[in-house]
Amino acid sequence: MTHLALTDISKVYSGTTVVKDYNLDVKKGEFVSFLGPSGCGKTTTLRMIAGFEIPSTGKVTLDDANITDKAPNQRNVGMVFQAYALFPNMTVAQNIGFGMLIHKESKEAIKQRVEEMLGIIHLEQKGDSFPSQLSGGQQQRVALARALANRPQVLLLDEPLSALDAKIRVSLRAEIRAIQRKLGITAIYVTHDQEEALSISDRIVVMYDGKIEQVGTPFEIYNLPQTAFVASFVGTLNTTDAEVVDPEKKLIKIDGIQLETEGELQGKLKGDKIKIAIRPERLNFVSVEKKANILDCTIENITFLGSVVRIQVKVGNNRFNMDTFNNPFLELPKIGAKDQVTCSREAVLILNN
Amino acid sequence: MRRGGVVWSWFWMILGILYFFLPLIATFLFSLRAQKGVLSFTAYENIFNNPNFLYNFSYSVLWAVLTIIVGILIFVPTAYLIRLRLPQFRTPIEFITLLPFVIPAIVYVFSLVRTFSQPPFLIVDSPALLVAAYTVLSMPYMYSAIDTGLRAIDVRTLTEAGQSLGAGWGSILFRIILPNIRVAILSGAFLSFAIVIGEYILAQYLVKPAFAPFMAYMMQQKAYEPAAMAIVSFALTWASMGIISLVGRGGGQAQIAGGH
Repeated sequence: MTHLALTDISKVYSGTTVVKDYNLDVKKGEFVSFLGPSGCGKTTTLRMIAGFEIPSTGKVTLDDANITDKAPNQRNVGMVFQAYALFPNMTVAQNIGFGMLIHKESKEAIKQRVEEMLGIIHLEQKGDSFPSQLSGGQQQRVALARALANRPQVLLLDEPLSALDAKIRVSLRAEIRAIQRKLGITAIYVTHDQEEALSISDRIVVMYDGKIEQVGTPFEIYNLPQTAFVASFVGTLNTTDAEVVDPEKKLIKIDGIQLETEGELQGKLKGDKIKIAIRPERLNFVSVEKKANILDCTIENITFLGSVVRIQVKVGNNRFNMDTFNNPFLELPKIGAKDQVTCSREAVLILNN
Repeated sequence: MRRGGVVWSWFWMILGILYFFLPLIATFLFSLRAQKGVLSFTAYENIFNNPNFLYNFSYSVLWAVLTIIVGILIFVPTAYLIRLRLPQFRTPIEFITLLPFVIPAIVYVFSLVRTFSQPPFLIVDSPALLVAAYTVLSMPYMYSAIDTGLRAIDVRTLTEAGQSLGAGWGSILFRIILPNIRVAILSGAFLSFAIVIGEYILAQYLVKPAFAPFMAYMMQQKAYEPAAMAIVSFALTWASMGIISLVGRGGGQAQIAGGH
């Protein structure tokens, strides 16, 4: 059942359309991420849900109630900001209890809820501290607790981890997800970090230039990208131009090399130019495992990335990256050596522009 | 720093101190000579025992406090609104707040007398006019201090955070914004206080029993008391500045934690 709906939303600033034709239904308890590069309109869309921006067209409904024109303080949505936005003049406990104070709840109810939230974010001893006395990760946990203390219908998070270092980001995003699951609250999460979006979301909305490129589960977004942008933005990708050989048999060719694909070629004719993509991790050497497609190649470069070894190979006139797990017992090929790489039919993705 | 440079630094500093403090010391010593042949605080006693001193000083303090309150009520919401919603008005408003520096006080007071001494605005005798006039006079200091305080915090994000928690404008202004710029407000308040206490022309021409006209009167009537009054006036101003410095040290909490 739809809990939050954005229908035909668009936003225009001084003649520039920053969000266009936006339609999205979010179920109750779902964790949806808006993913895209800077300037794609994801924060603007989030702010329209929060009420800080009014859509130029379209409507926002929450539990079937139209909230498009409602003031932000009347929407009952909690928000976690990129810059934490904790109130410097209040203690951690006062920050968390602020929303309930505004709603004139009793002192006992506020105290109980604050203690509950401090327990959830594991900062039981920090109730009397001021925000300036906390680390960045602690401040963001307090910001999360403050947003949740009011029991909002939807939780909005605007790149909440971007100001934190990498290790804290990884642990805190898991905490955020765990808390969201525990409370069963609908959450919209804005990020430009694809790893973040892939790891914690039920669904991802990939945005570009103000429009939705694709909506899907992390699996779908990564393995079945529908557009060239999604394929290139999420994960690393080998893309190249190809030509349709036989749409019925799903045969294509690149630089004269024939490939089989499971991608959609309906409506295509022999000789049509298309764009294809193959994920680096879907390629491997024939000596490891033989699959449907076999391509002759020359080893061009080998890069050690820690747990992954990236091997750049030349196939025809194309350069492809092939990622393989770092195995100290595996002998790597020499640069300049000739070899063969292979991939399955499913690995050859047909991209829609 | 080379040794020669250090010596010159000390030279210029001592010269500056002497330039500033020698006249003050001379004035102070002169103020102690009210009683012939002996240094005493007789001149100061004469001032503080004068029945009009307490009355005039209290009068000025009262109107200074009212000026500060009116200033806060006007300038805080104005500066807040401009920061949040109307940045395009920042420059014209800043220009307006600097006008008291440009318009001579005598021109200002004469225009007030002419405008408000006849119907329909016959309020030239009202103390409210004095407060209004002082508020305008303190505008450069009060508005600037408040604006500086607002610049040190992320006004927009704090406001939106308050709104997302259900707070209205009043709650946001009084529970979130004001407490985080209280140091700036106090700085502006003490500057305004010093200005009002020492202001002569407005009080004299609006015929009000303020402190500065009392000082001027004493200077005309007595010999040693004016010197004592000058020292008292300096002491009041320094006290205000000292409090501003002390209060300004508590500004750490006014910075948004973790902001970029």
